Amino acid sequence: MTEECVLRCALMLCCVLLSANASNWLYLAKLSSVGSIRDEETCERLRGLIHRQVQICKRSVEVMDAVRRGAQLAIDECQFQFRNRRWNCSTLESMPVFGKVVTQGTREAAFVYAISAASVAFAVTRACSSGELEKCGCDHNVHGVSPEGFQWSGCSDNIAYGVAFSQSFVDVRERSKGQSSSRALMNLHNNEAGRKAILAHMRVECKCHGVSGSCEVKTCWKAMPPFRKVGNVIKEKFDGATEVEQRKMGSAKVLVPRNSQFKPHTDEDLVYLEPSPDFCDHDPRTPGMLGTVGRQCNRTSKAIDGCELMCCGRGFQTQQVEVVDRCSCKFHWCCYVKCKQCRKMEEMHTCR
Amino acid sequence: MAGAIIENMSTKKLVIVGVILLLFQAFAFMVGGLIAPSPTTAVHYLAIKCVDTVKHRQEAKWFMPWGPNQCDKIRSFDEASAKMIEANNIVFAVHIPLPDKEMSPWFQFMLVILQFDIAFKMYNQIEDGAMVTVDVGVAYRDDTVSEWTEMAHSYEQRKLNCNFTTSKTFENEGRYYECDLLPFMEVGSVAHKYYLLNIRLPVNERKKINVGIGEIKDVRLVGIHQNGGFTKVWFAMKTFLTPSILIIMIWYWRRITLMTRPPVLLEKVIFALGISMTFINIPVEWFSIGFNWTWMLLFGDIRQGIFYSMLLSFWIIFCGEHLMDQTERNRFSVYWKQVGPIVFGSFCLFIFDMCERGVQLTNPFYSIWASDVGTELAMAFIIVAGICACLYFLFLCFMVFQVFRNISGKRTSLPAMSKARRLHYEGLIFSWKEFTLCACPSIFVQVNEGHWHWGEHTVQVNSAFFTGIYGMWNLYVFAIMFLYAPSHKRYGDDQSRDAAANSGEDIQLTTTITHVDGPTEIYKMTGKEAQE
Repeated sequence: MTEECVLRCALMLCCVLLSANASNWLYLAKLSSVGSIRDEETCERLRGLIHRQVQICKRSVEVMDAVRRGAQLAIDECQFQFRNRRWNCSTLESMPVFGKVVTQGTREAAFVYAISAASVAFAVTRACSSGELEKCGCDHNVHGVSPEGFQWSGCSDNIAYGVAFSQSFVDVRERSKGQSSSRALMNLHNNEAGRKAILAHMRVECKCHGVSGSCEVKTCWKAMPPFRKVGNVIKEKFDGATEVEQRKMGSAKVLVPRNSQFKPHTDEDLVYLEPSPDFCDHDPRTPGMLGTVGRQCNRTSKAIDGCELMCCGRGFQTQQVEVVDRCSCKFHWCCYVKCKQCRKMEEMHTCR
Repeated sequence: MAGAIIENMSTKKLVIVGVILLLFQAFAFMVGGLIAPSPTTAVHYLAIKCVDTVKHRQEAKWFMPWGPNQCDKIRSFDEASAKMIEANNIVFAVHIPLPDKEMSPWFQFMLVILQFDIAFKMYNQIEDGAMVTVDVGVAYRDDTVSEWTEMAHSYEQRKLNCNFTTSKTFENEGRYYECDLLPFMEVGSVAHKYYLLNIRLPVNERKKINVGIGEIKDVRLVGIHQNGGFTKVWFAMKTFLTPSILIIMIWYWRRITLMTRPPVLLEKVIFALGISMTFINIPVEWFSIGFNWTWMLLFGDIRQGIFYSMLLSFWIIFCGEHLMDQTERNRFSVYWKQVGPIVFGSFCLFIFDMCERGVQLTNPFYSIWASDVGTELAMAFIIVAGICACLYFLFLCFMVFQVFRNISGKRTSLPAMSKARRLHYEGLIFSWKEFTLCACPSIFVQVNEGHWHWGEHTVQVNSAFFTGIYGMWNLYVFAIMFLYAPSHKRYGDDQSRDAAANSGEDIQLTTTITHVDGPTEIYKMTGKEAQE
């Protein structure tokens, strides 16, 4: 009896320790060596997945390529959105992908969780409409499906499948421990907020096709927003994120704003538990904390990309560099650019 | 002298008839709302970018986006430029439907809409009035292994109507333009199980083809088809309604032929209305399940057009015959001013429809809206039809106003009138109310989209509206034919007084349906004399 208890406690402890790295699956994006994920054995070899995720992987192997593309998409978008900030979403070659920066419950972590949950939903939905997946909107395991099938009433939107898959795959880590720790609650909330960023910005498009093309009969559908837009939305939520703490409400634990004067956050807002570090200096003890030494900055800007803020007051160096730029180009819609090379001198400022 | 049934029916019976009609109406709504799924489905397709590796490709090679024998794909165009693949070697492949599914004749039609995802680049923007030229082929097959058979192939031009909502700076590179939907393909029957679309965007700098269309990231299609379930419910409804209208039509015509006088104009028009309703009702669509009849869409348009112009003409003539002034009508030529716009307007729409859906019979990718001349022509047709419609409604409103004025004039003296006259006018007022009540809902067809959840049931509002309105027109025509059929009953005690025919009221009564009825001509004359 006691032995079992000890074992259970040890397991619990393991889970809690692991929980901080719930975004480890993003490491999939780095696994270019694996090739495409085709069979169930590959699932076992994937690093960064927890046991339950490996099970999901085995159950739906075909989706995993899309998940991997989603992970890459999340990292790319994160780097684009944070290109001008002190922490620029730089990745490491080891796990966790973003280093220790996201293991604390900071704003940055909130952003990473939201964008990665959104990107999985996005990538899976895309894979659905390109015909790579067979289940998708017609999958009976996913809610919102008519029982009569495709010929009777068509299938539900692919986005429903994408979101449901994201929920099962990304959230599984937090769900497996029950909703106890405040960090798990925060992650779950931000994951959901990320997916909401897609759902709330679906574009409604309509086509009239009645008599002579009149609007007597009109069909409307929802189109997914481009991922850049989703990234922008989540970045805006990042800027207005709410600091929260866990509180007991009856039997359930909920997150409420730390400052009670603030209005409570909605489902679409990001929440975080701890304030972010300043990201100014390189810290060898925290992987991923690279500091801003050597970063380029904008001399004229007063915002976070300006040299003042970016370099944390350490000052900056100015160099004259020759920039080779493309000019007077001829483009085709794809794959063809013919340019002249123009050279010009530019000033480049880097942080000390 | 025989009046219409509506004039001779007791109020109690009228109420019963009304309640029965209402019940059927509710039933029609419920069939759509509870049994049928939503009328149409839109399916998203993302085109797979295939690489046409063979330099001198033999004709009719089809590129499959997935499954066995799938093409060499590239994920993104960055990959293509790295591999030195040119734009002319890229084929966008879309398989309809998605894997594991089959199309079915129950889908009735298939529309495909084209959308480009074009990223904004400072140095590669979309030029003003950019046209995109697509080289597109569509093929079909009925099992998963056989060869593809070409259905149509065409070079099409579409105008890119894109705008960039944020400022055009380096910061915003990579955001997408917002582009209008491009109508792409329309097929009037879905006779095959699998369809394959291969789209190319050939570049020719010398001829300025596909130059300045920005940086295309993806090609997306949306396929719209009618839901099989809805089609089945719809067919069932048609199959049920056809005999009902047919029977009442025969009954109605028998009643008219039984009379001693020839039928009056209004009776003929009501009969014609019944015919056009039956024309819509006859479920010829059943054949589309077995035969590949692509002209079904066009045929459906024509049938609806005939019914609506018949209905509009009927309203005008109905109003005219109830004007209750002293003018002699009862000839179709009297109404040319009002019916003219209907005929002309529907003729315009017919020409337009022939230009669009008629041409689509041979080239499913054709769209009249694609070219400037076509757009102007189409707009011209539609505007003319619109003007006709406005003219018509002006006439109609004026007539309705006149009728109401006359009726309300009569109404004040209703209690003083004899029973027959009162019944007659009450019938008129009733039918007017019915007419206005019935005409209104059709305007609000598009009020709401989607479905309502009602406890555990999902109510398909759109389907309910479709079946409800279709049922409503049928019930309307049914009710009109039933209520305005000549009655066998006589006005009884009024008979003697009518024979005397010395009050002014009589004349107004006789200008309605009954007025050509044999001896009424004499009444009229005597009445006029009496008035004078």
